[in-house]
Amino acid sequence: MRQIAESIKDRFLKLGIDVPIEDIEERLDELITKFKVPDNEAQRSVVNYFLKKYSIPKNEFYVRQAEPQLIKITDISENGQWANINAKVIQLWENNHESISQVGLLGDETGIIKFTKWKHAELPDLEEGDSYLFRSVVTGEYNDRFQVQLNRNSSAEKLSEPVEVQGGDFTPGPRESELRNIVDLEGDNQWVTVRGKVVQLWENSHESIEQTGLIGDETGVVKFTNWASSELPDMEEGKSYLLKNVVVSEWNGRAQIQLNRGSSIEGLDEDIEVGTSTFTYSGAMVDIQTGSGLIKRCPECKRALVKGACAEHGKVRGEYDLRIKAVLDSGTSTQDALINRELTEELAGISLDGAIAMAADALDPGVVLDRLKQELIGRYYIVSGPKLDRYLLVESIAPQDSLDRELLEAMLAELEVE
Amino acid sequence: MAGFFREVARRVFAQELKDSNLTSRDESDQYAPQYLLTPTGAKVNRIFLVGTLIEKEDIGTDSEYWRGRVSDPTGSFLVYAGQYQPESAQFLSECELPAFVAVVGKASTYTTDDGNVLTSIRPESIQQVDELTRDLWVLETAKETLNRIKGFENEEDPNAKLAKEHYATDTAFYRSIVKKTLESLRENV
Repeated sequence: MRQIAESIKDRFLKLGIDVPIEDIEERLDELITKFKVPDNEAQRSVVNYFLKKYSIPKNEFYVRQAEPQLIKITDISENGQWANINAKVIQLWENNHESISQVGLLGDETGIIKFTKWKHAELPDLEEGDSYLFRSVVTGEYNDRFQVQLNRNSSAEKLSEPVEVQGGDFTPGPRESELRNIVDLEGDNQWVTVRGKVVQLWENSHESIEQTGLIGDETGVVKFTNWASSELPDMEEGKSYLLKNVVVSEWNGRAQIQLNRGSSIEGLDEDIEVGTSTFTYSGAMVDIQTGSGLIKRCPECKRALVKGACAEHGKVRGEYDLRIKAVLDSGTSTQDALINRELTEELAGISLDGAIAMAADALDPGVVLDRLKQELIGRYYIVSGPKLDRYLLVESIAPQDSLDRELLEAMLAELEVE
Repeated sequence: MAGFFREVARRVFAQELKDSNLTSRDESDQYAPQYLLTPTGAKVNRIFLVGTLIEKEDIGTDSEYWRGRVSDPTGSFLVYAGQYQPESAQFLSECELPAFVAVVGKASTYTTDDGNVLTSIRPESIQQVDELTRDLWVLETAKETLNRIKGFENEEDPNAKLAKEHYATDTAFYRSIVKKTLESLRENV
């Protein structure tokens, strides 16, 4: 503690102020011993206290410290380290946080790092592709990755010699992203190009959104959002477009695409036929969930009723229906599947009328569910149909009716060899 | 994806489940599921099995508590159903022996006074099925087990590493079990 106190005293001496060491020690002691504050936090708190007391502007104090060392990006290994770096701005990102003026990636010959330039830093805007000497930036750690922050004490000096970036040519520029089928889109902030027809435009009341709706190609349909900040033209329902450089993200387990300032929209003359992809899944039926069996639906919107009421239309006289919400399981994954009335009747050998009669007889629609569980759970099925959310909408379902002898022989042969 | 997801029902032969005694659970979350790690590195919470119900007994004192013994080509599983598994308990009380049954349930463990760990299954559902379903399960479980053994030998999977440290698994033993079950399947069909 004595050491910390002395270093604080020394630093104030350089500013021409002699702070009594006892005062410093007393404050440190209270924080560290009594309030269990970590040493570095206590040190900062004490420094700030005396700066305030002697009305010294904070930046004056910190700037007078020794010039930080010039280091390479790969050497950044500590949180809260001050550093100077020579680096090239390789990418500027979309930024919608009001306290941030610019955010993106910096690179040098050793690595690439994220940077954040705060608004209050009052630094001029950095240009993508230019190289700078950044003085007094602060390192930080977020999600186990280092980043650097440019604050009021930092400066950026443009260099005439470009800094070479590891990995060579890392200029994303107007590089074109890959054209993808909609069914293959997966979240994770990938940049892609998509070709499709606007199937639906949704009403949108949010001022930061220009348009939102559904766009589809031959393989499937995906939600899109065109942000107002992207400054792109509007699209029309029923027309086909090529959307370049859109970002795929995931929400509630479904992929969606977002158009931003880097994206572009091109109208197409062709009329893209929107289709759906069929998925096939095989596994054992391990559960039939509540809401299966004999249910009632709202005559207006066909939603399933809960306790005789529709979520949209209130108490209504429901129409009977038969369906199964099944869970199939392959041993390595699970798949929810919706089975409609026709297929349920066929699969379980119960007609809708038969089910109504069963329920009336027992005074309990639950007997239908019990019967379905008895008939179906534990058996192996192959189902196929399009996917919607987490459900596979079953268009065909067949029990697995024979053992895969080829697989049996192949596995035995493999085991013989060893 | 964060949030709720359904536990996959693992496929494990009775012999391997019997050899398992390492349980793990995220202690920081009281709703975290418990897992049983098997010698080939299957991380089992839910389990699906098809076999032959060969014994059943009501071992309850006050209320009914049924124990069923379900055998597969390698050994047998113990299935316990009481008042909290009314459908399964009812099935066991009414079922005639022997019968092919499909069981979906959660693996649980019990440590005896002398430190042995016994594994059993708390059923979510038991249904009577046909012989084909049983054969399909044996083939599928052989395939899954062999895949786990291969993953184990290549040290691809963190679960396999953990299993290796704990059990010092002899994969040749489990390979021989897989081989035996496949041979029995070939003879029968």
